[in-house]
Amino acid sequence: MKERQKIQKQKKQPQLTRRQFLGAAAGVTVAAAVSGCDIVEEPGGSGWLPTQYTNEGNWPAQVKGRVPIDPQNPSIERVDSACILCGQCLEVCQNTETVYNYYELPVVDGFICVHCGQCALNCPTGAIREKSQIDRALEAIDDPDKITVATISPGVRVSIGEEFGMAQGEWAQEQMITALRELGFDYVINIDFSSDSTIMEEGSELVHRLTSGGVLPQFTSCCPGWVKFVEYYYPELIPNISSAKSPVAEMGAMLKTYWAKKKKIDPDKIVVVNIPPCTAKKFEMSRPEMDAARRYWEEHEKKKYSGMRDVDVILTTRELAQMIRNQGIDFMSLPKGSFDPIVSEGSGGAIIFPNTGGVMEAAIRAAYFLVSGEDPPEDLLHLEVLRDGDLDGYAEGSVDVPGFGEVKVAVCNGLHAARTLCEEIKAGKRSDLHFLEVMTCPGGCIGGGGQAKTVVPPSNGLRRNRLASIYKADEALSPEKRVSYKNDEIKALYDEFLGEPLSELAELILHTEYTDRSASLEAKDTKDYVDPYNGERGEVQ
Amino acid sequence: MKDCAVLFDVTKCVGCGSCTVACKMWNGLPYEENAHGYDAKLDDKTWTVVEYHDVKKGKEDVLRFAKHQCMHCLEPSCVAVCFAKAITVSDEGAVVYDAKKCVGCRYCMIGCPYSVPKYEWDKVFPSVMKCRLCAEKLAKNESPACTSVCPSGALTFGTRDDLLDEAWARIKADSGYIQKVYGETEGGGTRWLYISDVPFKDLGLPEDIPTKSIPSTIHDYTKWKPGIFVGAAAVFGALGLYTKRRVKIENEQRQGEGGKEDV
Repeated sequence: MKERQKIQKQKKQPQLTRRQFLGAAAGVTVAAAVSGCDIVEEPGGSGWLPTQYTNEGNWPAQVKGRVPIDPQNPSIERVDSACILCGQCLEVCQNTETVYNYYELPVVDGFICVHCGQCALNCPTGAIREKSQIDRALEAIDDPDKITVATISPGVRVSIGEEFGMAQGEWAQEQMITALRELGFDYVINIDFSSDSTIMEEGSELVHRLTSGGVLPQFTSCCPGWVKFVEYYYPELIPNISSAKSPVAEMGAMLKTYWAKKKKIDPDKIVVVNIPPCTAKKFEMSRPEMDAARRYWEEHEKKKYSGMRDVDVILTTRELAQMIRNQGIDFMSLPKGSFDPIVSEGSGGAIIFPNTGGVMEAAIRAAYFLVSGEDPPEDLLHLEVLRDGDLDGYAEGSVDVPGFGEVKVAVCNGLHAARTLCEEIKAGKRSDLHFLEVMTCPGGCIGGGGQAKTVVPPSNGLRRNRLASIYKADEALSPEKRVSYKNDEIKALYDEFLGEPLSELAELILHTEYTDRSASLEAKDTKDYVDPYNGERGEVQ
Repeated sequence: MKDCAVLFDVTKCVGCGSCTVACKMWNGLPYEENAHGYDAKLDDKTWTVVEYHDVKKGKEDVLRFAKHQCMHCLEPSCVAVCFAKAITVSDEGAVVYDAKKCVGCRYCMIGCPYSVPKYEWDKVFPSVMKCRLCAEKLAKNESPACTSVCPSGALTFGTRDDLLDEAWARIKADSGYIQKVYGETEGGGTRWLYISDVPFKDLGLPEDIPTKSIPSTIHDYTKWKPGIFVGAAAVFGALGLYTKRRVKIENEQRQGEGGKEDV
């Protein structure tokens, strides 16, 4: 009986017959085949393109495509998935900066770029952005052996606040100093100091050229985008560029020599993190000749620091804002901070450096003194004529300097104005000019490629707000605080370390040389160049 | 427009990669792989790439950019090998794939001399993926997405005859060009035409493609197939009949010889 129950139980277990199996298999196959017909999507043609690309025939869209960017570009990068081919990067690269399309095809080295970052500033989707060095900065901050020194470039302080809800151009230097200390930087240094040293060197160089019949006009060298532009397109004008380095590069070299000695810090432990409104600084930092501090220690102190660079990390305004946000720092409620002494005092002349015409104004204040031995008169402290009030990219004027006579100067912002002038200089038509300031970005560094993208594309209204904020800070100072040569820390720098402007040591630490890059491209003949914006200064004969 | 074609002038390409982005945008493809660079490769999600090539031009080291995509042959071998008729040539000349007819045999991938068609290996119901020359845009008399966005003039869209004239005019006007239009005769001619100042093989374009189209080359042999089948059937049929008849006669002869047993 028990045996029988057992057999019955076994029989009750579900069994799959051959017929059932085949039936099920056929069912699955048919279902898969039927449903598969709906699952398979017709590939292609399901997407979207901007309207200028969806016209009948070969419609000649005026603004199309995008700028070529080298994957190895030290300054900028692009995320394809965010690019909508709106063509704004190309518009600014070609017409504002006259870089793209000003070289013959086929290309030689491939990618021509002056690293100004205007494409990133004009990119509505953020597809083009600076190549981030935030990780490098954080790594240095976290390393207990390293001494991190944050150096703030002047243009950043009227833009960083915009990232956190402040008004356009609102002065936020003091909050930024506190934010940098909260981020963990050991020292916060003001680049205004090296702007003043730049003025001393560049002004002395100008005086030297003026009095000894040197190559004129002298070009400013603060802007790495402009410097590379000349190296690419006008190699014959390289001798015109002042050999003085940019304030950022000078500061890096001074921190690892003069400052390190005064603070008795091993220069190898110092990590210089500069915060400029600029993407081209990332390129400038990587130039092989930017290792003056290493050469100084080797030549003067017989100490070897292999691989030591003057500047180690460059963070744009946008990157710093991102770091502050990532740390959860409430920027708006930060208390005011102040810079660390020794290399942080800046004159009013240094404050106006990021404005178009600012370097020129500061240089004229100093040159006036260097030539005549007198303080510049009150009206020279507000050179309206050089401030490019209509922001069309070009301004020129002249200054009477006792002991020399009339000094003729010009100011360009945006390389298209600079190109027009370079063509004239090349043709020998501007032998009247003594000094030329060029900023690659419209409005100067306050409109730099690394600045806050408060308005996209950046408007002249935004630029004016930032310009006004900077001028206000300069004008709030007493006259003796507005000239570089009365900067006490600068006086100490020359007394204790460099000797005098253009001394041998100053040449090593504060001056540089330039590279002819004309073999990287075949420049187009711009004789027939028609200015896209300004008919009057348009054609260059 | 009938007889659509695109001319790619290698000397005018600046390597911006706009064409690769336009392709992804128009075709709704994901951005997984880098579509331009030294290691760019065609795959099922990337139908066109811009490859970087360090090339020797005379004694100079130069960088050149080469766009790759389906060449849209005049007589495509992928169409010839597809027994499901999933790949067809449109009225404008685009070689177009129909996923609903595809059985997934992937003969087209083997048949293509440029290794263009790619398979969606990561899908449950995969399709073969490749450039379609934006067939629906061509049908609306628009240029393909990639050519419409090219800022440097490297890509020109037009009829094949016009573009061949244009290509040869450019070659004759500038001695820097290689004296050849790639695609004019390759595999019987393609709708993508290339002109360059450096050898085509340095740009990743195969130079061993016969001038005769692959389908017609194969046809030279396969056209005999029906004859061989019918002929063989006839021969073997005749042999069979002959053998049958001989056996029959042998049997009759044996019976006639008088009652000898079969062994």
